[in-house]
Amino acid sequence: MVAARVREPELVGAPVAVVERGDRGLVVRAVSIEARREGVTRGLRRREAEARCAGLAVVDADDTSDARAFDVVVRAVEQLVPLLVLDRPGRLSFPTRGPSRYFGGDDALARRVLGVVHDTGIDDVRVGIADGDLAAGLAARATDVLVVPPGDSPGFLAPWSVGVVAPSVDGGAELVDLLVRLGLRTLGAFAELPEAAVLARFGLPGVYAHRLARGEGMQGATPVPVPPELVESLELDPPAVRVDEAAFAAKALADRLLGRLDDLGLSCSRVVVEAETEHGERMTRCWRHDGALTPATLVTRVRWQLEAWLSGRALPATPDDVDDVITSGITLLRLVPDDVVPAIGRQLGFWGSDPAAADRAGRALARVQGMLDVEAVVTAVPAGGRTPSERVHWVPWGEPRDVAVDLAPRDPAAPWPGAVPGPAPARVFDPPLPAELLDADGAPVTVSGRGDASGAPAVLRCAALAGGGGPVVGVAGPWAHDLRWWDVRNHRQQRRVLWQVVVATGDGHDTGEGDGESEVACLVAVTRGRASVEAIYD
Amino acid sequence: MELAVLPRRDDEAREHLEQVGSLARPLVLARERSIELDEQLGALVPGGALTRGSVLRVTGAGATSVTFTLASAVTAVGEWAAVVELDSTLGALAAAEAGVALEQFAVVRRVPPARWATVVAALLEGVSLVVAEVPRGVRLGDARRLIARARERETVLVVHERAASPFGHGAGVWPAEAALTVRAVGGAWGDLVADGHLTDRSLRVEVEGRGVAARAVSGELARAV
Repeated sequence: MVAARVREPELVGAPVAVVERGDRGLVVRAVSIEARREGVTRGLRRREAEARCAGLAVVDADDTSDARAFDVVVRAVEQLVPLLVLDRPGRLSFPTRGPSRYFGGDDALARRVLGVVHDTGIDDVRVGIADGDLAAGLAARATDVLVVPPGDSPGFLAPWSVGVVAPSVDGGAELVDLLVRLGLRTLGAFAELPEAAVLARFGLPGVYAHRLARGEGMQGATPVPVPPELVESLELDPPAVRVDEAAFAAKALADRLLGRLDDLGLSCSRVVVEAETEHGERMTRCWRHDGALTPATLVTRVRWQLEAWLSGRALPATPDDVDDVITSGITLLRLVPDDVVPAIGRQLGFWGSDPAAADRAGRALARVQGMLDVEAVVTAVPAGGRTPSERVHWVPWGEPRDVAVDLAPRDPAAPWPGAVPGPAPARVFDPPLPAELLDADGAPVTVSGRGDASGAPAVLRCAALAGGGGPVVGVAGPWAHDLRWWDVRNHRQQRRVLWQVVVATGDGHDTGEGDGESEVACLVAVTRGRASVEAIYD
Repeated sequence: MELAVLPRRDDEAREHLEQVGSLARPLVLARERSIELDEQLGALVPGGALTRGSVLRVTGAGATSVTFTLASAVTAVGEWAAVVELDSTLGALAAAEAGVALEQFAVVRRVPPARWATVVAALLEGVSLVVAEVPRGVRLGDARRLIARARERETVLVVHERAASPFGHGAGVWPAEAALTVRAVGGAWGDLVADGHLTDRSLRVEVEGRGVAARAVSGELARAV
C-alpha cells in the first residue's frame, strides 16, 4: 500500500486497494483508510471492491517493493525499541514490556511509535498493543491506536470470528472450516472448550489455535537456547552488489541451516539475518514466520531484506540519523536461528508408506508434469459404472483424489445393473476401437430395438488384435445398456450391447515355439450397427 | 554385533569367530536390496524377488497383467510405481484387482516417443519401479543410460514391449540387455458358456535371464476371480 503510494504520489489521499491473485481470482489484500470507509475489506474480490467504492485505485501486490518501502518504517521504529521482529513487509511486532516502562506506559509507547512512523511520511499506520501476537495483530486492525490492557485480551478476542486464527496455524483453513461447522463461530466459543478435549479432537495444531484464542500467545513450546554452531555464515567473494547474487548465496545458506536443524530434530520459526559490507557496515533483522520456516520462505525473507538494503540508497525518504544505509557490496551473510524448538514433525498416513519414498516419488512425478503437462501424469480412482472405461476416474497427480470422487458421484460400491462381470480388462480403449463383428454367414452382427442380436458372433476383426483378429472361440453375454434413454428430443439415446469374446488369433507375434495359436479375450460393443472393441484382457 | 551366546572363557575362539563373522556379513543385506514378489511369479524368478537397480523385459500376450503383478509387489511395501504409456489405454481397474495400491501408482500417458527417454530417466530418479512401454526406435545409447540410471538409483526398470498398438506406435524393441526377460504366452480362458462370463485364466509365462536365471523357466500365473 505505502510502497504503491511512494511509487505513484497521486494515489495519496485516494482510496487504494492492493490486489493479489488468490484461489478465487484477484482478491484484495490491503486497503487504505479511505477505501475502508467505503466498505472495502480484505478478501473481497476485485469486482466487488470496485462496486463498493467508486474511483477505487487498484494496485497489484509487489512484495519486493513493499519490503523496500517498509524498511523505512523498520528503521524508524528501531530507534525506539531494541528488539523487533518482522512478520512480513508491512507488519512488525516487538515486545513492549521494556519500552513501555521507559516511555511511560503502553499508551505513550503506542503514540510514540505512531509519531515516528508518521514522521517518515506514512500516514496509514495502526498500532495495537495486547497480550500475545494474535490479539495485538487484531488490535492493530481495529483503529489507529488500540491498547488492550494486560489481562483483557481474552475478552477482546472473544467476539472475533475463529477465521482469524487460520493463517497462524498449520492446516488452519481446514481447522476453521471444521470449527464453524461444529457451531464454534467465535474465538470466545472456541476458547471455552477444555484444552484436553481440543487436543483429543484437533491435535497439536488445534491446541495451538486454542491457546491463541485464549490470548496466551506463543507459549506452546519452550525455546531452547541456540547453540553457536547452528549459526550459518557465508563469505561472499567478490562482494554481492545485486540482490539476486546475494539471494542465490542465501539459498545455499538457508538449505544448509534448515538441513542441520532438521538433522538435530529442531525447527525454527524466527531467523536473524545479518549481513556485513565491504566498509564494515553491519545490518541485522529478525524475521518470523508462522509455523516452521522452510528454505523457500526463508530465502524470500532474506531477499526482501537485501532488497531493502541494497536499494536503500535510492529511497526518497531515508531518515538522516539512520546509519545502516549500505555503501558497498555485501561480503558476509549470516543466518542465526532464533526461537529454536524441537520439531514435532507431521502426522504420517496410517498406511506406513515411507515418507522419504513418497517425497522422492512426488518430486520425480512433478518434474515429469513440468516436462509434459499436468494432465499427463494421473492416478486412478475407482468409480461406479457399467463398462471398464466408466469405472475409472483419472485424476491429475497432485490433485486431491477424494475431491475427484465427489465431483463424479458414481459410487463404485452401488449396484450397477448390466455391469460387465468378471475380471477387469488390462487395456481399455476410450474411445473404443472400430472393429467388425461378423456372424457365421459373414454378415455384421446387429442388434434389434429389443436388444436381440441378429446372430451369434463368429469372427472378430480389429486392427488392435494380433493378426487383425480371427475366429471367435467363446462368447459370453450379451449385456444390453440403454444409454441416455431419457434424451429423446436430441436423438442421443443409444442401445449398446456388449459381449465378452475370446478370439483365436492366427500366429500372433513372437510367441513362437510350436503353438502358434493364442487366445485373446476382448470386450466388444455394438452400437447403432457398428462394432467396436472396448477393451482387451491383456 | 555381540555374540553373547558364546562361552565367556573361550576368548580366543570368540575373537576368531567374530572376525569370520565380520568377513561373511555383507555390507547391505540382499533382502534390503530386493522387493519380494508374490508366490506365483516369485517361484519363477531367482530368489523370488525383484532386485533393485535391475532391468526387466516383459513381452508377449498378457504382458500388461505381468507388469501389474510387478507393480503390486512394489506398492505392497509402501513404495511407488509408475507406468509410462505411449497411448492411454491402461486399465486401472485390472491393476487394482492385481493388488496395486492405486494411490501409489502413477500413470504417465501419451508420452511422445521423442521425449520418452527423458521422462523415463526422470521417473527413475524417484519412483521405485517404472514400467515403460518401449516406443519404436529407442537408441542403444539411451537404453544403456537408462540401465545405468536404474542401477545408480536402485530402482527397477521394467521395459514393456507391447505388440501392435492400434494408434500407430508401440511395437518397439528394447535394444539393450535385461537381467530378466518375462515372456507371457497367453493361456486358455475358462469356459464362457458354463460360467456365463469370463472368469479366470492361467497365464503361461516364461522367465529367462542371465547368471542364476540363465535356464529358462516356465510356469502359470492363475488368477481366480
